[in-house]
Amino acid sequence: MDIYAELGKEVNVSDIDRELRQLWEHDEARTNASLMNLVVYAERPNGLLENSRIISDLTRENACRAILVEINREEQASLRAWITAHCHLSHGQKSVCCEQIAFRLTGRVPGRFRNTVFSHLNSDLPLVFWWQGELSDVFTERLASVMDRLIVDSSSWQNVSASFARIHEAVRDSTTLVVQDLAWTRSWQYRVGIAGLFDDTVAQSILGKVENVRLKYHPDSHTTATQILAWLVVQADWKIISATQLENKEGGKINLFMEAGESFAPLGLVELASGKTTVRVSQEKGAAHLLREIVSASHHVSSLSPADPEAPAELVAQQLSRGGKNSLFLKILPSFLQLLSQAPAASLKSSE
Amino acid sequence: MNPFREDLVSRNRPETCSVVIFGATGDLTHRKLIPALYNLAVNGELPTGVNIIGFARREKSDEEFRTGLNELNKKVSRSGHDEEIWGKFIESVSYHCSEFTDAEGYASLAKRLDEVDAGRGGKGNRLFYIASAPEFFDDILLNLKGAGLNEAKEGCWSRVIIEKPFGTDLKTAKHLNHIVRETFHECDTYRIDHYLGKETAQNLMVLRFANAIFEPLWNNRYISHIQITCSENLGMEGGRGGYYEKSGALRDMVQNHLLQLLSLVAMEPPTDLSADGIRDEKVKVIRSLRQWDTPEKVAKNVVRAQYTAGHVDGNPVPGYREEDRVSPTSDTEAYVAVRLLIDTWRWSGVPFYIRMGKRLPKKSTEISVHFKDAPSVLFNALPGGVPGGNVLVIRIQPDEGISLRMVSKIPGTSLRLEPVKMDFHYSTSFGKGSPEAYERLILDAIAGDATLFARRDEVEEAWRFIDHIERAWHDSENPPKMAGFVAGSWGPRESDEMIKQDGFAWRRL
Repeated sequence: MDIYAELGKEVNVSDIDRELRQLWEHDEARTNASLMNLVVYAERPNGLLENSRIISDLTRENACRAILVEINREEQASLRAWITAHCHLSHGQKSVCCEQIAFRLTGRVPGRFRNTVFSHLNSDLPLVFWWQGELSDVFTERLASVMDRLIVDSSSWQNVSASFARIHEAVRDSTTLVVQDLAWTRSWQYRVGIAGLFDDTVAQSILGKVENVRLKYHPDSHTTATQILAWLVVQADWKIISATQLENKEGGKINLFMEAGESFAPLGLVELASGKTTVRVSQEKGAAHLLREIVSASHHVSSLSPADPEAPAELVAQQLSRGGKNSLFLKILPSFLQLLSQAPAASLKSSE
Repeated sequence: MNPFREDLVSRNRPETCSVVIFGATGDLTHRKLIPALYNLAVNGELPTGVNIIGFARREKSDEEFRTGLNELNKKVSRSGHDEEIWGKFIESVSYHCSEFTDAEGYASLAKRLDEVDAGRGGKGNRLFYIASAPEFFDDILLNLKGAGLNEAKEGCWSRVIIEKPFGTDLKTAKHLNHIVRETFHECDTYRIDHYLGKETAQNLMVLRFANAIFEPLWNNRYISHIQITCSENLGMEGGRGGYYEKSGALRDMVQNHLLQLLSLVAMEPPTDLSADGIRDEKVKVIRSLRQWDTPEKVAKNVVRAQYTAGHVDGNPVPGYREEDRVSPTSDTEAYVAVRLLIDTWRWSGVPFYIRMGKRLPKKSTEISVHFKDAPSVLFNALPGGVPGGNVLVIRIQPDEGISLRMVSKIPGTSLRLEPVKMDFHYSTSFGKGSPEAYERLILDAIAGDATLFARRDEVEEAWRFIDHIERAWHDSENPPKMAGFVAGSWGPRESDEMIKQDGFAWRRL
């Protein structure tokens, strides 16, 4: 049995456009919708099947033409293609469908990849490129020049600094390409929560005199934890002194406690404290919500807010629904890389 | 200044506050306001520490009040009902029992709010939402002033949201505006019109001013006329007749919602996106409406009607005068169609048509922009000629979206033309549901953004226009007649004739 049957109808690459047209010609009950081209690129076995399932979820809220690519350099040169459509009932009435083209390339890749994929983009729609895993030689300046949005997940990289340097090199002349990191997306609700808490006058009053910053996180989320710390540092105008100490504008010392542990949620706690006042956002492992709290001698407010999703499809869906230039991420990037160099994941104390 | 806010949300910053809802036992609070606040909490958009107090006359404990809210939220909440979030959210909700006219009730409310603020270092923002019956608006506002609740503490704000109807005519609107001015600053006053919170209404400005292809055509050179339709298939179910008898279609829908839509369609580009920048331009449209200030002009440009018994959705329905709580001799209109002219350079000679009616075939609100025909020198000799012109339709509800009708050649060896439609559906393109209008509007008020709320002069100018028509109908010696139509049809023949006189026809929805 063909393990790729799940990807739909196998077609000749030269027939893809004709086959796609036929998919819709005799079906008036379905609406073909697309707001973007979404290329999902994976250099790992079974990437196509996994990503096809992700696209099935993703297209519930993000209409697109999905182009899935799986690369295997070890095999003889070949190229196979499949087409299908993911359909969902919109408001229980209309069946809204998104086209999917899946490519499996083997053998020598770079030139063939570009030609194959880019001849099947929907014209005039933006190109969102979701690169899964480590960057490879396929990622070039030329490839980046046709993207509108590049989605990566730095938490899956071995050498984060080197990979960001490659992206920086590839995109430095681009004025339109937006780079988005899923590791950064994983801290969205935490950042919203902290920002919301600091609207409170009690929290505001301690911002200039924070004495302790504490983060707890799962070891797999070291990148995300470091990014949110970089965000605190940059936005509060602090200086990085060492892996355990920061400094505020007036030269006041801030103790930094970063604790990784298997029993923690991906991000388990972000806490800023001064004297008897503590501002914190936390999540129990497995909980669906974040707890936002301000605790002081005379004041205790708390509320629940949604937790950041973990599934890649949901993270990408969030990125897509938010849009924007992601300029804040670029702003915190230097501090993030500095913190990474000071506190590599392996050197951190584990609570387990 | 909160440095952590940077780049997180492209909107004004909502600040934590106490929200006091007057009319807390009413339908609006249970069906719309509390679910809207809850959904903001679900999305993490409600500031932490927001405290909600329901103010109403009926004796109730906090627990009874919460139980009632809980039951309805389960049924109507847009994002479902999460027990964990609801449990946390409802902790912040309490009930304050008082007559709206009892000054003591406001004094105790002030004390209660001070207690809440004590935990915030004595400071606290307040948002008063007046969702009571309109006859209590004055009392509530004056009593808020009497208790000192209209004035914000230093470094804080005190705002008021006022539900419709904002007056029943120009005189009462002016009176209410006077009371509001005596109690709250105009910049702290939010006159709500939930139509402006709808996604497509907000998208109107984006469509017009962020797309270079539309604005050059948006004038009397290229547009022949514009229609705004609000049709409802419902009648006076659920005891609505009692309220409707006092308002009618013109005052209930046209004075506020539909004239607001008209002003968004017809306004000049604002100088900036500030609340007053936009409202300055909107009010100019209403001010430029040609006034139908005699019964003769009203008779020529306005059609009012009541429905007679008929069928809607295949079910028999009674005529308007046979409806529950409607007088058998009622002269309240359940349908109105108005021809409007805007005396500006841009719109000179372009008629706008507004129609609103109950018991029409289906529920729909839309704006259709009808462009002038292309010169027919090329195709006018063809059999069938050129079929109609271009129409841009902006659907407000349901099935929010935008469509453009164009003319195309039918495939084949001969040259035959047919209209085709390019259609954009919000729900298809963006699977994500739009927030309820009240969610957006309450959050805007908490954030101090009045862009989507009506300003004092907008309300008064709209009433000035409406008053002439109401006077011609009800106070003149020779009032224009009340037309009739069969329930389930698209309105009276007189309405069709009014638009036909200009060489147009109502768009078939």
